[in-house]
Amino acid sequence: MKTPLLRLDNMSKKYGPNTVLSDVSFEIGKSEVVGLLGDNGAGKSTLVKIMSGVVPATSGNFYWEDEKIENLNREATEKFGIETIFQDSALVPQMSITRNIFMGREIRNKLGFMKMREMAQVATDVLDSVVTIEGIKSPKQLVQSLSGGQAQAVAIARAVHFKRRLLILDEPTSALAVRATEALLDYLRQLKTEGVSSVLVTHNLHHAFKVCDRHIVMNHGRKILDVAREDTSVEELTAAVVSGAEGVRLYRESVGK
Amino acid sequence: MTSDTSKLDQSSSPGDVGKASARKLSDSKKLTGFAAIKDNLQFVRGRGGFEIGIVLLVLVIGYVTAGIFIPNSFPFLDSNNLSGVISQAVPVLAILGIGVGILMVSNEFDLSLGASLTCDAIVFIQVDQHAGLFLASIAAIATGAFIALVNGAIVVYTRIPSFIATLGMSFFWNGASIWINGTQAAELDQKHQTGAIEWVYVHNFGVFRSQFLWMILVVVLAWFFLHRHRLGNHVYAVGGNVAAAEAISINPKKVKLLSFGIYGSLVGLAAIMIAVQTSSMQPGGSATADYTLFAIAAAVVGGTSLQGGRGSVFGMLFGATLIELIQNGLILGRAPYFYITVFVGLTIVVAAIFNKLMEGKAR
Repeated sequence: MKTPLLRLDNMSKKYGPNTVLSDVSFEIGKSEVVGLLGDNGAGKSTLVKIMSGVVPATSGNFYWEDEKIENLNREATEKFGIETIFQDSALVPQMSITRNIFMGREIRNKLGFMKMREMAQVATDVLDSVVTIEGIKSPKQLVQSLSGGQAQAVAIARAVHFKRRLLILDEPTSALAVRATEALLDYLRQLKTEGVSSVLVTHNLHHAFKVCDRHIVMNHGRKILDVAREDTSVEELTAAVVSGAEGVRLYRESVGK
Repeated sequence: MTSDTSKLDQSSSPGDVGKASARKLSDSKKLTGFAAIKDNLQFVRGRGGFEIGIVLLVLVIGYVTAGIFIPNSFPFLDSNNLSGVISQAVPVLAILGIGVGILMVSNEFDLSLGASLTCDAIVFIQVDQHAGLFLASIAAIATGAFIALVNGAIVVYTRIPSFIATLGMSFFWNGASIWINGTQAAELDQKHQTGAIEWVYVHNFGVFRSQFLWMILVVVLAWFFLHRHRLGNHVYAVGGNVAAAEAISINPKKVKLLSFGIYGSLVGLAAIMIAVQTSSMQPGGSATADYTLFAIAAAVVGGTSLQGGRGSVFGMLFGATLIELIQNGLILGRAPYFYITVFVGLTIVVAAIFNKLMEGKAR
């Protein structure tokens, strides 16, 4: 098999006495769209934080293109080209759209002064080309004046603009309108043809099933299912998410697999 | 200028995902004239300095009118008032307000400002006696930065709220000023009160003084830092939403320490002006205690958010100017002293309520 882009090996995470992830291992291939599914509290968000280097794991190994990475942090993952859209904490409400898009990665001259015109121009292009955003008047608009869906779209536009190898989306469709969701799913398919992998974290199985090549289902901090799209169905995934490993077994029995 | 919109269209078409029906941002017409100004004002308002600028403008127009028509009972335009009062008091508070404001944008406070002023001024006076003006100026600014960085390090690394940490440290630095200097006031030497020191820091050019030029310099530098430099952008990001800044690999500790450092340097500069103006400094901090809350008030009146992430350099400047002008107007109008504190207090509360309402409206 080809070298995977990213591999997690026996990742565990404890917060004090609470184990939120236990011995999770999986791979994400190059140009692959992976659905990371599970009910609330299954450990999806923790996994996302570990993969993007924001939170350190308690134990386990992280491999990037088969190279073991010690001291995983945000600087390292940014260097690899991992871009994450976090569910809750993506944008600064008091700042303009342009400033949010370029936060930490400003277009600047040698002295560090920002090139405002260029940033505004690129922001306009990014917002136009990535996701259809209704009702945004200007990239100068403050994020706090946007609706939830618009803000979500801005966060997605930013991640897509800076993506290089792997895009992780944590519940990206939760605040999006139907049409914007369709556009986003289309976009993930297109990214795949450009060689960019993505991880779609969601509990909307129908969205995941539409675009993902492979599905990983989490339950109570454990991986209970890791299956290619050809070998599964929305019904099986539903059983896995709702009733865990036992649900999968019962479902497979019932369809005689 | 008519080709502008078509140029925008071309640049956005490559990489388009093919949603031809959707209305695009780059399709929107370029606004001109009054519409463009109105459009821009909408975004300026979000930063919090605009409304206070209008209030200030109205006040200044009122003062100037009164100064022209009743110069005897309201001598606002008298050169003694302009150079003696306005251009000594406004720059000091504006420089402090901008320092505190930058710190507040990063969502921190420093209640030891007054104590730091005393220490910095004493260091300035003492070094000036032995090593001259230039080294004394550097020493005072470095002391201000050092004190602020010590406070900042405590706040950033222990995660104690800055309110408590700097309240405690203000007692420490007040004590330190007595330890450095003894209980006697530090006096600027007679022969050190004229010449270069006078020219650089307090010279009277007729209707304004040297302090005024320093203020303009600070405003320009602070504006370019906060509104145009990438580090300024990080200050807003950290103050507005730490988690979002961290997720994008901005280090909040570094950014907050940077804000503390800039704030401290500005406190050092203001301390020099106070020292030269009064040519002495009493250790212990009682002489400069008022500045702490006045500087925070200047930033708040100027629209700086108490929750961080919001504020503008011009807002801070306007806030400081407004507070000083209200005081000046009351003094010129021969109001009893308690009126002054009453009015300044009311201004601060009204401005804070007003800003709160505006923050709600900006949503």
